Amino acid sequence: MTIKTARFGNVEATAEDIISFPDGILGFAASQSFVILNHGQGAFRWLQSVDEPSLAFLVTDPACYFPDYAPAISEEAAESLGLMEQSPMLVYTIVTIPRGKPQQMTLNLAGPIVINAATRKGRQFVIDDEAYSIRQRVFEATEAPPEQKDDTNPTLEHRSEAAA
Amino acid sequence: MLVLTRKINQSIIVGDDVEIVVLEVRGEQVRLGIKAPRNVTVHRREIYDQILDENRSAAQTDPEDVPE
Repeated sequence: MTIKTARFGNVEATAEDIISFPDGILGFAASQSFVILNHGQGAFRWLQSVDEPSLAFLVTDPACYFPDYAPAISEEAAESLGLMEQSPMLVYTIVTIPRGKPQQMTLNLAGPIVINAATRKGRQFVIDDEAYSIRQRVFEATEAPPEQKDDTNPTLEHRSEAAA
Repeated sequence: MLVLTRKINQSIIVGDDVEIVVLEVRGEQVRLGIKAPRNVTVHRREIYDQILDENRSAAQTDPEDVPE
């Protein structure tokens, strides 16, 4: 299938690439289907809405910047995604970059995107813990982005045409 | 807005399956217990609003600005 996107033109994806977000992303409840697109070769991905071409969130693996990041996911929250102890789970954080100011990039550590890779169901969790900032600056402590990580779940990800 | 007066250990029911119990009142703070089905999300309002705002900002991120 072809997915129309505002940022990356038309992107090819298969039904298996689609991740359903039954509750949407907070503030964007109308979009419930997304695909993950690679951004270049690095650790960034785009969570692109399937139904709304202009809606896409830049996401990354929080462990790239904060190796100790381990938000407590309540039993209820885990169950809502059908997550068992052995379930393959993907955790992303949404990245915000003010226009033209990449040095002011922040990660939303309080609102991680958690995906059950087995069922391709995802949800944005709200972590009610002061230890995790909604706007965690990245470039105060480090000068440059960290080492790039290998893709661990290539089956879920499709490179966008623009990034290829 | 519906306004109800409750005492400690009294509750209100929202719909068929959400129950909110007043557990403790101490000075200006009220402790509430909430029983809801797993598909109902419950958050403190200010956290919810902040994440909603941040999502709206994040949705404006331009691919041109992403560090390589």
